[in-house]
Amino acid sequence: MKLLTKTTLNFLSITLFIFLFGIVAFYFLLRGQVDKNVNLELEKRKASIITQLHSDDPSNSIPPNPNERIIIDVLANNDSIPDYVYTDTLIFDDLQNRYIPFRKLGFVASFNNQRIYIQIFKSLEESDFLIVQIFLILTILVIVLIVSLLIMNRITLQQSWKIFNQTIKKISNYDVNAHEQFELQKSDITEFEDLNRVIQTMTDRINSDYLNLKEYTENASHEIQNPLAIINSKMELLLQSGDLEEKHYKAVVDAYEASNRLSRLNKTLILLARIENRQFPESKDVVLKNIINDQLELLEDLINSKNITIENNIKNNFSVHMNPFLAEILFINLIKNALRHNIDKGEIIIHQSSNIISISNTGPKHEMTSDDLFKRFHKSSNSPESLGLGLSIVKKICEVYNFNIEYKYDEMHCFLINFSS
Amino acid sequence: MKILIIEDEKALSDSIVEYLTTEGHLCEAVYDFHEASEKIELYEYDCTIVDINLPDGSGLDIIKKIKEKLITLGIIIISGRGSLENRIEGLEIGADHYLTKPFHLAELNAHLKSINRRINFSGHNDIILNEIKVLPDERRAFVHDNELKLTKKEYDLLLFFISNKNRVITKIGLAEYLWGDFMDTADSFDFIYTHIKNLRKKLLKLGCEDYIQTVYGVGYKFDLSIT
Repeated sequence: MKLLTKTTLNFLSITLFIFLFGIVAFYFLLRGQVDKNVNLELEKRKASIITQLHSDDPSNSIPPNPNERIIIDVLANNDSIPDYVYTDTLIFDDLQNRYIPFRKLGFVASFNNQRIYIQIFKSLEESDFLIVQIFLILTILVIVLIVSLLIMNRITLQQSWKIFNQTIKKISNYDVNAHEQFELQKSDITEFEDLNRVIQTMTDRINSDYLNLKEYTENASHEIQNPLAIINSKMELLLQSGDLEEKHYKAVVDAYEASNRLSRLNKTLILLARIENRQFPESKDVVLKNIINDQLELLEDLINSKNITIENNIKNNFSVHMNPFLAEILFINLIKNALRHNIDKGEIIIHQSSNIISISNTGPKHEMTSDDLFKRFHKSSNSPESLGLGLSIVKKICEVYNFNIEYKYDEMHCFLINFSS
Repeated sequence: MKILIIEDEKALSDSIVEYLTTEGHLCEAVYDFHEASEKIELYEYDCTIVDINLPDGSGLDIIKKIKEKLITLGIIIISGRGSLENRIEGLEIGADHYLTKPFHLAELNAHLKSINRRINFSGHNDIILNEIKVLPDERRAFVHDNELKLTKKEYDLLLFFISNKNRVITKIGLAEYLWGDFMDTADSFDFIYTHIKNLRKKLLKLGCEDYIQTVYGVGYKFDLSIT
């Protein structure tokens, strides 16, 4: 449940609760107050009636009130009637043809030595009407108040949460490799500002740790070159000496080959790191046809040894804005891959349609997914000498330039690169 | 040739000195920037081998100093940093070659040979080795004055062999010289074999001695001592 929904629900339930109870209590209070007023009026009436009873001047009589009825009964001596009583009754009104609520005051008075029972009825219709009116106005007022409070609350919260949501979005898109400034939007809410500050410190730390680590790896890789150079040179000298026994020769050659492989691996990892660190900034329009033809020429021996036919229909004028060295690396790795996993007398098709270049090759089917293929050090069992870094270099270069690369298998293995970044 | 080797890794420097001394060069080794600056102020060398990362300075500054002093001196950079920019920077200030560590001594030697030819026989730098004659400027080779029809790779191979004659040349060293490091070794070994087979066939056809010897498991040797 959203925090906004939760606060709204809580707010609604508590206001409805208070509103309902409040309205009931208010009704009774109002009712009591009205009754009190009516009682007072009845009391005044009673006083005036008594005064009238004792005066002989008929002109002194109070003009009849339409909301008022007075009933006078003569009491027998033995009738016992409470002295003073307020009651509510309904009396049928002939005019309106319905029952109307009345409040009655009954009292005993003496007139000409006779005990009489006087009942004054006062209509409650008006005051009831007033209560209903007050009630209606009050309810409308409270409802309007609640609704406007709710709306205002929602709007302010949504405004404030907008920044929080943006922060969340930024964090979920955070990529330590992105090479762009990670900045959060300012908020006037202290809590969100605190959150932003903490996240900012955290990402800054992650960034600097990451940069340190990268620098460390790069330096380490470069430092490794020196001891490797020493090992290689010593082995080469050892091989020249000529007074080694055959088994020693074999051992030296094996070690020599291994250290060479290590240095190749190291060089490739440095290259990969440099691509990742965007250390190939200079770009120009590279004519891909030339690049591809150059790489095919370099790989001529490999192509001939496997008797592979190449079909190449890249258009002469198709150029891409990128670093020329990276373009070479991209294609030599793709073509090498297409050659390595090819069959004897196989085929490679380099095809271009609009901005997409596909490189397809014949070869045995495998069960690898496209994610597996681009992983570092992932290699098939039939090429133990391969470092397993070629396709991850390809992938990295595509990432740097936002080219989309896909692998699919449809009779042939096919890599598709979309150069419209 | 008189060669100055500026390399702070003593063990590597020793290997270079040993390899080049047996080639008949006169080598002097220094291990830091300060010493190197002194040497190039005081003496003259035919060729300098410079490491870029020195403990107390940059090899690039040494190259600049050398260039101010003498124009024909050969310079080879050896560096742990092999990126394109580093290479371009090194070559732009006047180095002849840029080798990335780890490199093969045979390759260094081949580069030195070409510098040597350029410095000492400006223009007339034919290489004559018994019945073989190579014209490096025209990229042509002859046996008993009959021209060898060689492919580009075969020619490079022959020149590499001649530069490192009487030495064991490893297959890996050959492969990296011919293809750079983009080719995986297992693949390139097969091609080396094919190219050498073709080169040998062409040499023998024109009546050349069979100098190219296979050193089992290691590589090859261009052995002039067999005659």
